[in-house]
Amino acid sequence: MSRRRLQKYEAVNSSFGLNITSMTDMFTILLVFLLQTYSVSEVQINPEKGLKLPASQSTVEAVKGLKISISQDSLIVEGQVIASLKNQHFQAQDLEKNDSSVIIPLMKQLTTLTANNTADKNNDKAAPQKVLLQADVNTSYEDIKKILYTSSLAGLSEIKLVTLVGN
Amino acid sequence: MRSLKKVKKQGTFEFELDLAPLLAVMVKLVPVLLISSAFVQMSIIETELPQPIKEALQDQTITTHIKIIASNKTGLNIQIEKGGKKEILPVQLKEQKFDFEKLQQSLVTAKKNNPEVWRLELEPESDVSYQNLIKIMDEARKSKDLQITFPMMDKKTNKETQTNYMFPDVVFSNINEG
Repeated sequence: MSRRRLQKYEAVNSSFGLNITSMTDMFTILLVFLLQTYSVSEVQINPEKGLKLPASQSTVEAVKGLKISISQDSLIVEGQVIASLKNQHFQAQDLEKNDSSVIIPLMKQLTTLTANNTADKNNDKAAPQKVLLQADVNTSYEDIKKILYTSSLAGLSEIKLVTLVGN
Repeated sequence: MRSLKKVKKQGTFEFELDLAPLLAVMVKLVPVLLISSAFVQMSIIETELPQPIKEALQDQTITTHIKIIASNKTGLNIQIEKGGKKEILPVQLKEQKFDFEKLQQSLVTAKKNNPEVWRLELEPESDVSYQNLIKIMDEARKSKDLQITFPMMDKKTNKETQTNYMFPDVVFSNINEG
C-alpha cells in the first residue's frame, strides 16, 4: 500500500474518544441534588397559579383530602374554578341572601362531592372527608371564615391549612 | 535486579475508566427524578402530638379558657377566663404590625400559669390576613426557647414530664358567628 493510500485509509477509519468525565461529574451533582429534594409524601400538592402560600414551622406532612384553593381572584375546588373574587372578596351573587357566610357555589360543589362519597361508601375511590385549604397570604379572615363555615355546613369539619415549610 | 528496574520504570501506566454505562444510567435517572421531584415542600397545620398531650386534650374537666382576640387596630389581646374571673394580657401593635415576639412571651406566661390548658381559642377580626393567622398559630404551638418547658402529667405512667408544647390545639371560635 502506498503512503498516500495508507493516509487516506486512516482518515476514513479514524475513531476518537469523547471525554465524558466532566459530563459525568455534572450528572452526579444533579443526581445528588434531585435525590435530596425527592419527596416521598403520599400527597402531592401543586399550588394554583398566582397563589402565594404562607410559611409555617409545622412539618406535618400533607394528607389526602379535598383541595380547596382561594387565590386573589378565584375560588378553586379540585382544580376547577367555581367562583371569582372581586377586590379579594366574594361577590354578593355568590353568597346566600339569608346567610352571607355561605358561599353558594362551594356549598353546591361540596354537597355533590359528599353525596357521591356516601353513594360510593364501599368504593376505594370514595371522596375524602378532609379539606386541604390553600389560601393566599393576603386572604382576609372574612373569606377564610366563609369557606370554613360553608365546609362545616356541608359536613366537612376536618380542615387542614396547607403551608410552606420554613420561616 | 535488571528485570526489577525494568518493571519499576514501566510501572507508571494510565488506563481510562469506561464511564459510558454510568452516564447512560444517569441520563435515564435524571429525567425520572426531575419529573417526580417536588421542589416546594408543603406541610399542613394539624395537631400531631405525643400521646400524653393527646390524652390531656381530651380532658373535659378543664374550665380555664384562653382566647386570643386579633385586631389590626388594637393588636392582640390574650384573654384568660378562670373560675369566673377574666384576665387580659394585651400585646400592642409594633409599627402598625402584630408583635409576635411579645405574643410568644405573653403566651409563655399564660401557659406557665395554666399548664393544664392545651387548647387556644382564636378570634380574629375580619380584616386579619391569613399570613398573620398562621404566624399566631405558630407562636402558640410551641415555646421557641428550648430551655422553656412546661410540666405535664403522663396519666399512664403517673409521672411528671416536661414539654415545650404550649397550645397545639388552636380553634377558630367565631366561625359560627357568621
